[in-house]
Amino acid sequence: MKMEEKPLSGPDNTRLEALIQDVYSELVEDACLGLCFEVHRAVKQGYFFLDETDQDSIKEFEIVDQPGVDIFGQVFNQWKNKECECPNCKRLIAASRFAPHLEKCLGMGRNSSRIANRRLATNNNISKSESDQEDNDDLNDNDWSYGAEKKGENLKINQNSPRRSKSLKHKNGEWLRRVDSVLYNYNAGISYESLGPNEIRSLLTTQCGVISEHTKRMCTRSHRCPQHTDDQRRAIRLFLLGPSVPTLPDADVEGDSFDIPNGQALLSRLQWEDFPDVSPTDSASSKASTNHSDSKRPKKKKRLDLSLNSGGGGVNMTGVSSSSCQSNISLSTKKKKPKTAAPSVSSIYDELN
Amino acid sequence: MVVVFSLFDADRLPNLARRSGISPTNTMNKEARLKASINQKLTETGERDRLKELLRAKLTECGWKDQMKAQCKDVIKQKGLEHVTVEDLVVEVTPKGRALVPDSVKKELLQRIRAFLTQHAS
Repeated sequence: MKMEEKPLSGPDNTRLEALIQDVYSELVEDACLGLCFEVHRAVKQGYFFLDETDQDSIKEFEIVDQPGVDIFGQVFNQWKNKECECPNCKRLIAASRFAPHLEKCLGMGRNSSRIANRRLATNNNISKSESDQEDNDDLNDNDWSYGAEKKGENLKINQNSPRRSKSLKHKNGEWLRRVDSVLYNYNAGISYESLGPNEIRSLLTTQCGVISEHTKRMCTRSHRCPQHTDDQRRAIRLFLLGPSVPTLPDADVEGDSFDIPNGQALLSRLQWEDFPDVSPTDSASSKASTNHSDSKRPKKKKRLDLSLNSGGGGVNMTGVSSSSCQSNISLSTKKKKPKTAAPSVSSIYDELN
Repeated sequence: MVVVFSLFDADRLPNLARRSGISPTNTMNKEARLKASINQKLTETGERDRLKELLRAKLTECGWKDQMKAQCKDVIKQKGLEHVTVEDLVVEVTPKGRALVPDSVKKELLQRIRAFLTQHAS
């Protein structure tokens, strides 16, 4: 559209400014008018004064600005330190942990049955005695505000503590307790020292099982657990079950059966050289060969290999095929890189055979 | 003050003005026409609506609207709830409204208008 006026500059600047002011004041008046209409309508329709209530109500719902309270005047963690008495077990539980505790205590809810079944499975394998349901729950129960239990470093286990499972006491007591004192803390996950080799094996076939550094517990997630790698899982299996079972269940598992019974015993023996006679399932010959290999190997890790190997060799006498055992062992030795493991293993086999 | 010309007059007037020098009416005509064209441009491009919305938003944001509502409440209490009219409100409240617009808002709006005009003026 053609504009007839000259370009707005120079002396026309004032004109321009005047124009701008005009436009602006028009807009402002528009806004004011709009507001007036709005208010007038609100007045006539009766909703203009709705936000003004009586003084009492205003005082009651005023915004609170004191320290330690929120704007409604409520204290933040008022119930945090309170303890409630559980109607079932009559213990004092922290308020924030009350609901999960009740779930486990009453045996209702998703997790409690799962944990209970698992405990029954492992406890039945460990000992013949019936584990008290409640005691086992206690083991996994985080709510119990037992000061000593919660700390967990170098815990001297109170022999009479209700937290100790009866089944654990029935085991070959002495060395197991020592194990506990090093690998502490029943609180979460599975502590592998309390499980026999069969349980460990069954657990490891279904679970990840990698032992966490800070809690010394086996990871209970599946084999695809993202926190741990396959290498870690393999290492754990090697550590717990012996070199004849280096593989995860989805791989070859030929030679594991004969090694496992000794796994636990050998594990304990590794940690305390003072108790060579303690392991329950150990056989005399394997012990002898262990001592043999002990002298050869100053390092603890390599002794681990050999003692496990020899354990495997020892049980081999029961007549399982040695070839698979040997192949598995050589597999594991390759992984662990001990230099003379292979020849000494074969020498042990010669000795036994 | 709106000066209305018939189409015939409007066509002829500039020539007359040129011959006889600039007359006040002529200047006013020109101004009027200028203004009219500017308004038209503003509306056509939608800039006027945009500016309106912008102004409303800014005024609400800075609390001008609440202030004005308080003023209105005073007027209403003064005149009585039942009998207040739009005129009452407008007359009482608009001058205060104009004065209460914060400087920042005013400046920004003037800026935008100026930008628009310099862009669309020939």
